[in-house]
Amino acid sequence: MGGGGCGRRLAAGLGRGGGKAAYAVYNQSISIVPDTILSCSGLGFVYPDHGHSVRALKDVSFEVRRGEFVAVIGPSGCGKTTLLHVLAGLLRPTEGSAELFGKAPGQALSTALVFQENSLFPWMRVVENAAFGLEMQKMGRAERERRAAGMLERYGLAGRERAYPRQLSAGMKQRVAVIRAFLSGAPVLLMDEPFGALDRQTRLWAQQELMELWGAERKTVVFVTHDVDEALVLSDRIVALGPAPGTVAAEFDVPLERPRGPLLEPDAEVFELKRRIFACLDLPTGSSRYSYAP
Amino acid sequence: MKTVVALARSGWLVALLLAGWEALTRFHALDPLFFPAPSLLLVTLGRLIASGEAGRQVMRTLERTAAGFGLGVAAGAVVSALLSVSATVRRAFEPLIAALYATPRLTLLPMVMLLFGVNDLARVLLVGLGTALLMMIQISDAVRAIDRNYVDMAVNYGAGRAMVIRKVYLPACLPQIFTALRLAFSRALVMTISVELLSSQDGLGSMIWSAWQTFAIEKLYVSIALAGALGLLSQRLFEELERRVVPWKDQST
Repeated sequence: MGGGGCGRRLAAGLGRGGGKAAYAVYNQSISIVPDTILSCSGLGFVYPDHGHSVRALKDVSFEVRRGEFVAVIGPSGCGKTTLLHVLAGLLRPTEGSAELFGKAPGQALSTALVFQENSLFPWMRVVENAAFGLEMQKMGRAERERRAAGMLERYGLAGRERAYPRQLSAGMKQRVAVIRAFLSGAPVLLMDEPFGALDRQTRLWAQQELMELWGAERKTVVFVTHDVDEALVLSDRIVALGPAPGTVAAEFDVPLERPRGPLLEPDAEVFELKRRIFACLDLPTGSSRYSYAP
Repeated sequence: MKTVVALARSGWLVALLLAGWEALTRFHALDPLFFPAPSLLLVTLGRLIASGEAGRQVMRTLERTAAGFGLGVAAGAVVSALLSVSATVRRAFEPLIAALYATPRLTLLPMVMLLFGVNDLARVLLVGLGTALLMMIQISDAVRAIDRNYVDMAVNYGAGRAMVIRKVYLPACLPQIFTALRLAFSRALVMTISVELLSSQDGLGSMIWSAWQTFAIEKLYVSIALAGALGLLSQRLFEELERRVVPWKDQST
């Protein structure tokens, strides 16, 4: 299953039969016209730093449609996190504009953040953390904790509701942070390398769980990562930023059938897509003269 | 049973030292005039408790400590709140706080007495000053050390300023506030006893000084031991309080 825009793009892209059918169902049930809910145009951001300012973003333009899962990928230090902070309304762009539902970002309850680390409040129990978004919406304690507990139970955290974050593994903590974002009711989720600090096995499981949640809850997601495989497994579309100061180098549709397994069975299409992304990011695409190949 | 085990675990060294001391005085290896046997000190303690003197002096010291500590915590909290809100205020106050904090507080006793008279108000104010300074320094450090992520997260979920303070700043600072409270109380106790030693008619400090002046060696030992016990007990109380109020903190470290 995928976002609103993908069905349309699929026809022009590298489509496959199975995926087409799945997208078509979604398009009919949710919205006929794929509508843009988030857009950046000419977005730039400069950190003021006593005299020598640091430019993090330059002329970033892209759009995200309702229900779409967009991965933002780029080398470290290219301003991915800054971009996410702008979309969350925590930073105001110094040039150009970002719009969420036609307004400046930062409106209450429009976005929900997930960070790589320290997403959970250490002083709140797991259930309180998961219900934080609902609490900020003034929902009563009993009701919000009932909902959070239900969600926690469904995603393998039964019996951990009363624990504190320090008693959870890193993977579990991120799972709670993701659950909180989905529970909050915010239509747009902004994730900043949420699985970046997890070991490889845990990360693969976390990706599959995120896909399951996303399949059930239908949110628009902007997912920052530097891992090309992760972007391919999760997203409908990949926005690639070039090195600092970040600007959009290219966009790639990911017309792969859902649900996708973690393996992305290698075929010519996936390989070609990956090669293009690697080339765009200036990553090595073949054995170089430095390789140890015999 | 648990308490017995805990006592044995932390008290064996003290017990061993006391036993050694007792033995050494019994065999006259130590001069009992300077090192009265612990058993004798225990009798003296019993006598001081029975006469009500120990209780009265301890209470006087505790009253002054608590008054100074309470005053200092309140003042420290108010000033730290102001410092956290405004960078302008912080820049203006910081050198003053640092300078006062680095000054040995006891040296300010004559000045405080000059201004407020030789009375309990002066003593309590001096005790409170130390507490307030410690609280200010610890709290403003704690506020500055808060991970931006937590604030961003709360704001993003729709928390207003008051909510961010209640849900992020206060709980995030709480462990350090408790450390500051524990430290501040023990320093307030030390300060009170020092002030009493120099200028007071009652309290543990004055008891220690008058015991020295009258060469009541057993009483001298007992009153110093009482001061130590008071310090130890108050630390344990604050630790227990912290365990209850800050349950999310990893207590093993």
